[in-house]
Amino acid sequence: MSRWRSIRLVARREILERGRSRGFILSVLFTTLIVVGSFVLPAIVFGGPDVAKIGLVEPAPPSLETTITTIATGADRQIEFHQYPSLEAARTALHDDQVEAVIDVPADLTGPGQVIYKAETDQFLQSIVGSAVVALRSKDLLSSVDPAALAAAQTPPAAVALDPQSDADKARFLFANIGAVLVLVGIFSFGYTVLTGVVEEKQSRVVEVVLSTVRPRDLLMGKVLGIGVLGLFQLAVFLIAALIAARVTDRFVLPETTPTAVLMLGVWFILGYTLYSTALGFLGALASRMEEASNASTPVTMIAMLSYFVAIFAVLNDPDGTVATIATFIPPMAPFVVPLRAAFDAIPPWQLALSIGLTVAFIYVLFAIGARVYAGAVLQTAGRIKLRDAWRSAGK
Amino acid sequence: MLEIVDLAKRYGSVVALDGASFTATPGRIVGFLGPNGAGKTTTMRCIFGLATPDRGDVRWGGKTVDRDARLRFGYMPEQRGLYPRMRVGEQLSYFAQQHGMSGKAADAATARWLERMGLGDRVKSKLEELSHGNQQRVQLATALVHDPELLVLDEPFSGLDPIGITTMTEVIRERSAAGVGVVFSSHQLDLVEDVCEDVVIIARGRIVASGGIDELKTASGRQHLEVEVVGANGSWLAARPDLTVIERDGDSVKLLVDRDVDLDALLALAKSAGTVRRFAYQPPKLSELFMEAVAPATETTPAATAGVAA
Repeated sequence: MSRWRSIRLVARREILERGRSRGFILSVLFTTLIVVGSFVLPAIVFGGPDVAKIGLVEPAPPSLETTITTIATGADRQIEFHQYPSLEAARTALHDDQVEAVIDVPADLTGPGQVIYKAETDQFLQSIVGSAVVALRSKDLLSSVDPAALAAAQTPPAAVALDPQSDADKARFLFANIGAVLVLVGIFSFGYTVLTGVVEEKQSRVVEVVLSTVRPRDLLMGKVLGIGVLGLFQLAVFLIAALIAARVTDRFVLPETTPTAVLMLGVWFILGYTLYSTALGFLGALASRMEEASNASTPVTMIAMLSYFVAIFAVLNDPDGTVATIATFIPPMAPFVVPLRAAFDAIPPWQLALSIGLTVAFIYVLFAIGARVYAGAVLQTAGRIKLRDAWRSAGK
Repeated sequence: MLEIVDLAKRYGSVVALDGASFTATPGRIVGFLGPNGAGKTTTMRCIFGLATPDRGDVRWGGKTVDRDARLRFGYMPEQRGLYPRMRVGEQLSYFAQQHGMSGKAADAATARWLERMGLGDRVKSKLEELSHGNQQRVQLATALVHDPELLVLDEPFSGLDPIGITTMTEVIRERSAAGVGVVFSSHQLDLVEDVCEDVVIIARGRIVASGGIDELKTASGRQHLEVEVVGANGSWLAARPDLTVIERDGDSVKLLVDRDVDLDALLALAKSAGTVRRFAYQPPKLSELFMEAVAPATETTPAATAGVAA
């Protein structure tokens, strides 16, 4: 029988057993819910209605509606008018929440008029309506003045940002942050699943039956592979939910670089997960009980956390600085650092290629070492095994 | 034929195997006996590549055993264990496929063996939902599901109730009759005597006795002789102080004698003391063979006693 079939069977078992477990299904549902919720909830709470409904007491100044609409459009607000024959009717409508505000200005623009709100005054709406009324009055007063000159006089100064942050930039920043968190969460939840899986097989002694036909390294590889497929599935569900939610709620404009960013995230999630789960897998084999396993895995946890913080604090501030460049070529750090740099378009292609190459090579070496340690340790069930002993015992 | 050739294995300063060699022929059930720590489990692990011997070789059909050969072996380790939360049917099918069976063949074999073990209705149960005895049955089925050419069972009877022992015995006999090589270890020597044709006895990492049970018994230096002389009260024994008396009950005595003992002379001596009601020459029990074989070399060897007797 080919080794590949053996590996595939191990991976398939992991996928079926874990993929059907209540824990996994709940965790996928839960994360999806959080993603969708984090988009939908703010839209409900802060987004408010896109169109402001305003009551107009007739008779109103003839061009008031047009003027308000023009100003509102300039300020990115849409307004829908409802006409009422009397102030009483308009007040009732306001009371019944049919409109948000009522404008009561005499048709001939005599007197100050009023804008009535139900409870809170809306400063933004107030300034739009105010500007419109003032403009109409001024127009009447200055009817003899050249309309072009008047228009010129009424043009407000332009708002200019020195270093404008586009929506795409904001989205990039968000992507970079989410990406780093996803890689970290993926490594912790699925890498630790590999660790627990290895210890469970040891504890239940099934490993002796399995290893009477499956090579230790094939078992480790199948395990990493199968659990990785589940991790990738969860990541995909997460991303798809996020993209759809972003689209539907229109919270922010997705940058053009989205497909590349998603691809980068996928690639580095795979590399990061493989690297860390391989390390966690063979360290797990050194333990006989879960408590020992978490002790054995502490160094790996520390490295992962350190890498994450380097990415979040050093690289995010200066994506093409020295620290970022050095971290790119340290395989345990690369999965956190490179997607960040890529999201900011701050990594030259040669660095990207070299970083992927180095990480893959590192994983290869780690797996070769790990598989030997795993083989030497996984059948020893008495207490915690020393790394060196495991290495020697599998050496012959 | 399974050939174990000069296996040696050390764990640090502990010598687990010290040049162990024996053979097991398909069709003859082999009982693999030895005190705890003698090297039985290590030998079995070497057969399955779970331990790498420092020296020596394991051969099947004349060739050194490799992974492909092991796919046709079935193993039941001393430390029982399967996936607790995996369904019984899927579990068996998984192991069958790991032994090279196609998915379809594995499913069919799984159904057949679960039926055979009386667990046909538990296909979809998780292993941990089964009783201890039924889990043992699944464990045995795991060793058998891929129709192996060689069956290696480490303490298959431990923890079984009488019904379980009967099932286990039946399956072992049936497989052996089908031409499968069967090697199993056990401390229940009566059971081994009942089931096995051959035994291999290991002590301190070396094989101290091996061969057919009957041949070993016949060849043993510790035959039993039961003699009852009416009214003699065993007085005739005084003439032969070299004989080892195991049991003395009135007129009846039980002696340990060498296989070359001159029975005619003994019978004549007994007759001279009175009427001989019983004169029975019997081979030793397997348990006695075992004790004899594993006894440390410093103790008085039976051969020395036998030498004087002859």
